[in-house]
Amino acid sequence: MKKIALFVSVLLLFFTSIASAHGPVRQKAAEKITINAPAEKVWALIKDFGDMSWHPEIFNTTIQGGNTKGAIRVLTLKDGGTITEELKKYDDKKMSYAYKITEMSSSKTITHAGAEEKVPALPVNDYAASIELTEKGGSTEVVWKAGYYRAYMNNNPPEEMNEEAANTAVKAVLETGLIHLKALAEK
Amino acid sequence: MPFRVNPTYSAVAICIAIAFLSAPLAAQPFAYISNQLEDSVSVIDTATGRVVDTIAVAGKPAGVAAAPDGSKVYVSTPEAKGFAVVDTKKREVIAKVIVNGGTLGIAVGADGKRIYVADWYENTVSVIDAGSLQLIKTIAVGESPSGLIVSPDNRWLYVANRISNSVSKIDLNTLTVKKTAPVGTHPFGLTIDARGERIYVANVKSDNVTVVETARMKPIATVKVNMLPYATTLALNDSRLLVTNQEDGSVSVIDTKTLKEIALITVGDKPEGINTHPDDRHVYVANWFDSNVSVIDARILKVIATIETGEGSRAFGQFMGK
Repeated sequence: MKKIALFVSVLLLFFTSIASAHGPVRQKAAEKITINAPAEKVWALIKDFGDMSWHPEIFNTTIQGGNTKGAIRVLTLKDGGTITEELKKYDDKKMSYAYKITEMSSSKTITHAGAEEKVPALPVNDYAASIELTEKGGSTEVVWKAGYYRAYMNNNPPEEMNEEAANTAVKAVLETGLIHLKALAEK
Repeated sequence: MPFRVNPTYSAVAICIAIAFLSAPLAAQPFAYISNQLEDSVSVIDTATGRVVDTIAVAGKPAGVAAAPDGSKVYVSTPEAKGFAVVDTKKREVIAKVIVNGGTLGIAVGADGKRIYVADWYENTVSVIDAGSLQLIKTIAVGESPSGLIVSPDNRWLYVANRISNSVSKIDLNTLTVKKTAPVGTHPFGLTIDARGERIYVANVKSDNVTVVETARMKPIATVKVNMLPYATTLALNDSRLLVTNQEDGSVSVIDTKTLKEIALITVGDKPEGINTHPDDRHVYVANWFDSNVSVIDARILKVIATIETGEGSRAFGQFMGK
């Protein structure tokens, strides 16, 4: 009986290590919302890369440069964390822009596989996002998309830094942002 | 190399002739697009521009290498630590081969006899016999080897070493690294011209393409493209180089004579794998974010079709089959 139990646990261990012993796969998230307001009005709320006050989780934004490629903004979150982002693409006509996270503060330090790991404010790595508005007969469709990796780039991630943690966190950022933007624009 | 008639070669020639004659007239080249986030490969009939089948391939399929005779497609499966062998007639996985830690780049010899797989954790290229699927040799290369391309004469294999910022030239007779050339920052996908004289490698971090002369393994030019160039392909008798700019959602078109960008074509979001149809004119681009494929006509420099594939289309490598 003991032997069988041992065998089963070894087998389980074997399967777990196989399932997670791989390099990270890039993840994506996309959220869409329709806002009952003209596109110019919605665009006016989000068009300044240096002002992300339309997102409820952002405490303040500082910026170097304007709405041009290469501008750097630092977002301070309500919990005190910071996220630095670089503007990669800006199109006023298309009402869209794209940016990348270049730096983040850590929200906590955990011990995993005998090493200290800093969990970034948003538990992702190599995060790139874009937001685009489309006029739809008087109302506006907003699409916010992001591509990223999990925060832990080695094999066998801790649960704070795995794909699920990354996907959950990114989805929450996009969703809460769009819901709040809709509320602001429809005021 | 002097050409000698050899009984093996003539047998192969006869087989090819028979295969050719028995193939239905309507058979057209197929494009095999790996959909990483849904564990599948979409089979596009390029004659109709339709997905005719979707093959389940577990292990987060990424890299694709179509065998020259069209009978098989090899698909790297990083999460399954190896690659899958797809039978293109049955349209199913007929074998899974475990290689090592993290497989992405994959290529097949010009004679179809060997498969080459890069391992970005182990910093090696594994050489596998395509018949027996047994490992022949593991060759140490630079750090994080990514794209692979075999020379048209089947004599050399070129490897982009992402972290080492270099390209290695492997002698396929001795299976050793002959020479390594420095390129831009984080080289990823690469292609070679029909004469085997130049390779073009996309440098993900430095937003440019390095042109390397293969005989001396010397970089001869650097061409600026757009954000995050990912992979390259040649078209129109090697006169045009097309490069996916992953972060820009575009394809740069470079005149290979003047080495200047002559067009920037908007494709889908996060374009990755790019490959040219055997007609040498139409170029297929896998758009990772949009989960579709853009078809570019290299003559008019326009997207002429968009084909829906699956979640997270990557198709990194030579994905155009027969």
